Amino acid sequence: MADSEQLALIHAEIDGELDAHQRGELARRLLADPEVRTLREDLRRLCAALDAVADVEPPPRLRESILAALPQSTPIRERSRWPTPRIRYAAVILLVLAAGTVVYETVHGLKPSTSEVVGTIGPAGETTILDAVRLDRGRVTGRVSLYRDRTGLGLKFELSASAPVDVLIAGDGRTLRVEGVGRQDKPAQGKPGGALTVGLPGFGMDGQTIALTFLMNGREVGSTTLRAPGGR
Amino acid sequence: MKEDDDATLVRRCREGDRAAFERLVVRYQKPVYNAALRLLRDAEEAKDVAQTTFLKVFEHLGDYDPRFKFYSWIYRIAINESLNAIASRRFRGESDGEEADGAPGPDRQLEGEQISRAIEEALTHIKPELRAVIVLRHFLHLSYQDMGDILHLPEKTVKSRLYSARQLLRDHLLQQGTMV
Repeated sequence: MADSEQLALIHAEIDGELDAHQRGELARRLLADPEVRTLREDLRRLCAALDAVADVEPPPRLRESILAALPQSTPIRERSRWPTPRIRYAAVILLVLAAGTVVYETVHGLKPSTSEVVGTIGPAGETTILDAVRLDRGRVTGRVSLYRDRTGLGLKFELSASAPVDVLIAGDGRTLRVEGVGRQDKPAQGKPGGALTVGLPGFGMDGQTIALTFLMNGREVGSTTLRAPGGR
Repeated sequence: MKEDDDATLVRRCREGDRAAFERLVVRYQKPVYNAALRLLRDAEEAKDVAQTTFLKVFEHLGDYDPRFKFYSWIYRIAINESLNAIASRRFRGESDGEEADGAPGPDRQLEGEQISRAIEEALTHIKPELRAVIVLRHFLHLSYQDMGDILHLPEKTVKSRLYSARQLLRDHLLQQGTMV
């Protein structure tokens, strides 16, 4: 009966993994034991037969069926990594704030004082929470708030998830996609990710309902709505 | 013209080039389908697994780390999908692949197609995890290291499983009197 060492030598020989010393050892054992010789022959023939099993051609329409099943709209791109999106969103928010200032001046013809200008491109100043929802089930958890400040509507995300989360924001006939709203949490620590605010340029304020759809790896993992109660 | 390597095609896919993804499908549909077929021994299920595998690859290309081999990644998905399909079968109380072709008999001399059929039949008699190492080693012709990457196992465990799988196949074929 072949022992485990003999078996290992035989398999290693079949896989071309023996060094000179091991080859010598195997040769010695083969000479000494006819049962080991039989086993080796069986395994060599078996592996040769396995290697010789011919590939089967896939069904002729497999390629077409795969391509037809692909989602049409799913973008394929490298997963964004922190902190790049934060920087990008911060830049977008600053741009929105700056653009809002220009539009405001153009429409109203105001000449704000230096201190007011600083306030416009700095922190948003007075912020009113219009609506908030807590997500406590599913793969995305935490809180989303709809707020209004002097620049308009915005969303604040305080979410945790096991993988990066994108969100589709729909309302007022517009759709906006924002990446990385849920930072990957650390389950062992049970800590949620940090907050992220997103301005909603062009979104109207009167009785506005905003639908949020959360996506993880391109798949919907949750949804919710927020509502701004009337105009300012 | 030089064939684009996997990394180039993956990069182009990520940039939204669906033709590049089609090239990956053309390149990998055969090994993926064959791996699934050897594991499942059911052409229709193998086709479904192949389709699901490519769909998952497409959906998760953004998560793929180009420092690793693309084929390891796609084979891992295919193997996992196949093992899931086998587990579902068992959950539904179905048998694991087609039944044996005939009862055990005296030693028979087998040739060509008969050998393939005997081997495929013998494969259904070993555990799916052991079947997977046979598929990776003998049908996809991968190294121990690649097998370990795909199965998330140390090389030592891969070897141990492979040796066990071969032994069991040999024992089964001997028992059936159809040793190749």
